[in-house]
Amino acid sequence: MENYREQVKADCEQILGRFQEKDSVRFQVFATIWREMNFSHIFYGAVKREGRAFVRLILDTAYGYFLPPFSFQIRVGGLYLLYSLYQCQTNARRKQIRVALKDWDVVKKFEKDAVDAQHVDAVYILRRLMFLKAFHFTAMPTLLDYQKRRNVVKSTFCENFMDRSSHLPEIINTELLEELSNVHTMYTELKSSVFPPPQQTDSSVDLIHRDMVPQLLSTVKDFYKWRQRKDTRTAEAKDSGEGTSSGQESSKRARLIASIKSKAYGEAAEASKSRRHRQVEVNFSSSEAGPSFKPVYTRINRPSLKARTKDNVHIISKVWKDATGTTNVSRLTSLELDRAEIKSLRENSK
Amino acid sequence: MAAASKQNTDSTVNIPDYEETNVNSKPFHVDSFRNEWLRRLKPGDWSHQHEDEDTFDANFAEDMGVSAETMAELKAVCSVDSLRCHPKDQQPDTDVVPPDPRLSTLIQRKKKQDYRASLKITKNRHDLYADELERLTVGGQPETEEDKLPEGEVILTINVYYPASFAKFNYIRPHTSLLMTGSHTLAELRDAICCVSDLQVLGEFSGTPDMAPDFISKELYKSAFFFFEGVFYNDTRFPECKDMSMTIIEWAKARNFPPYSQAVMEDTRLVDLKLKVGFPYLYCHQGDCEHLVIVTDVRLTHETDCLNKKLYPLLIHKHRISTQKCAVCHVFIGRWLTTKDRLAPSDPCLFCDKCFRMLHYDAEGNKLGDFLAYSFVDRGAFN
Ligand SMILES: [Zn+2]
Ligand SMILES: [Zn+2]
Repeated sequence: MENYREQVKADCEQILGRFQEKDSVRFQVFATIWREMNFSHIFYGAVKREGRAFVRLILDTAYGYFLPPFSFQIRVGGLYLLYSLYQCQTNARRKQIRVALKDWDVVKKFEKDAVDAQHVDAVYILRRLMFLKAFHFTAMPTLLDYQKRRNVVKSTFCENFMDRSSHLPEIINTELLEELSNVHTMYTELKSSVFPPPQQTDSSVDLIHRDMVPQLLSTVKDFYKWRQRKDTRTAEAKDSGEGTSSGQESSKRARLIASIKSKAYGEAAEASKSRRHRQVEVNFSSSEAGPSFKPVYTRINRPSLKARTKDNVHIISKVWKDATGTTNVSRLTSLELDRAEIKSLRENSK
Repeated sequence: MAAASKQNTDSTVNIPDYEETNVNSKPFHVDSFRNEWLRRLKPGDWSHQHEDEDTFDANFAEDMGVSAETMAELKAVCSVDSLRCHPKDQQPDTDVVPPDPRLSTLIQRKKKQDYRASLKITKNRHDLYADELERLTVGGQPETEEDKLPEGEVILTINVYYPASFAKFNYIRPHTSLLMTGSHTLAELRDAICCVSDLQVLGEFSGTPDMAPDFISKELYKSAFFFFEGVFYNDTRFPECKDMSMTIIEWAKARNFPPYSQAVMEDTRLVDLKLKVGFPYLYCHQGDCEHLVIVTDVRLTHETDCLNKKLYPLLIHKHRISTQKCAVCHVFIGRWLTTKDRLAPSDPCLFCDKCFRMLHYDAEGNKLGDFLAYSFVDRGAFN
């Protein structure tokens, strides 16, 4: 089976890539792609022992996409892929999907996120798999026999599938910046109390950078800028569409949030959140109904650096504190920053 | 060291994770691992019984707050029908690769099948035999409630490798795979391991060929041990059993190795073990016949498992070894090995029982000429 590994991975990534292009988390959308690709055929021609080994291989491969570090949308796709593969396998005796104990908490968190965002179909598919007893509850994701894989191909999972927004905000957030700023102020005060006034300006005892917090923040912002520039044109269009439209701050932010979410959670998230307490009407007819911010390919009118910087701060705070209100945002933006210095730094870095 | 970490109450230590990615896990206690799973799941999740379909639907609708109509629509959208890649009234032949495949996997499979067809190889015996084993593992409904595999039990897949002297099999390391439940003891694992060295008959029997098969090594030399995570598990079921591990433990102590400890094989259930999945451990018997033992999988039981407890340990894979045939008839498997034998074409020489007796004894059973005869047990004896 080793010599099918690459092909199986390529096929899985192709179907998930096409699912990602649709910018959706609907099962209906996934099923359409599945039929277009004739994906059920993947089992055809593998019979008996070979067939059994093949089912094992492809289920184990697909399982990987159901877990972090992939984005929520890819993980939904991974779940649908597992379900579809499980249902369409052609062997008389079905093979189960192996789920490892260490991954279970992540799976439950995924379920909770899907419930909170009212992705009814994703929740249904997951619970359906449980109902069908499609899982083996295992120690490890695959069978292990101390066999070093020959010519190991380093797992180069499609970089586009990754949830890239998630890591940096986990490390650098408002709390950290505030804390750091406090410590820094205390340190400076302490230092100045030790030295007589004339020596305060002596830079030879400056062990850490004087403007550490603003600099850290600006570095993070620079990183986000760079990444966004690197990101798809779609994102760029979204970004610049921002500044041109309505001048109202709140609606601007709402749309920004929507666009971020549509990337992270697929289009249905925003709508379902707002109607979480109402009777739910699930719209299965996918994309056109999606309330997400659609990219508009109009004249690219770049907003000022200041505006863009501000927008990016929103992005940072929004991603790490999805549920909370605007408090963090305002706290972060109201930090005393030396804007002139940020500007000069950025100029230098260019 | 083993004792110290057993005391560790931190539950995460028994959530297995990789020690080396895709190769083996860190050590964990099997029963604690099982409890971690049971703690996280609802009894229905590990039950061998199915929930009622309507109950499932009703619970889901209520939980998610969806109407009956939405529920019906949801079921239709998520049905297997929506994944069908062929017209409804046509049943495709799933045994062949469809024409003009576009999926990379199918292109590869077609290539391989075309190549194989060009070689004109028919299905080999191994495939046939594997299918046979597969069938065996399915059936066997328990007759009594007591024979039923309990829900929430763990199943371990254990590979036992043939002694390393089979140097030529480097690619496919020959082994047997067994399924065992957590309540089995290591002694039961030992009894399930078939090794030809247990069947060897020691001694020269040219004078009394009828005596030979009565004593086999398994009965003569009963000592054996398993080695898992710094612990030697000795078989002490019979008074003749000797503690083979003490020598090693003392040897290791004298050389400043980490301390090893001892335990009793027949008192140790598999759930009591602390082990790494995927890691090679040792089974030693007949003094120096050493087998690698790898637990390749530990998981909760599933409704599709063989639910008859009596059929475990369950053999799910067996490597077939080519047998050595009689030098005279080339038909039957060798049973006797002779040396210093003037009647034989080679020295040593292998004979089946029939040819051996016809050539070496007269009608009254008298030995003809000088030779030495030893009982021979083929490696493929368990095929
Ligand atoms: Zn042996
Ligand atoms: Zn013969």
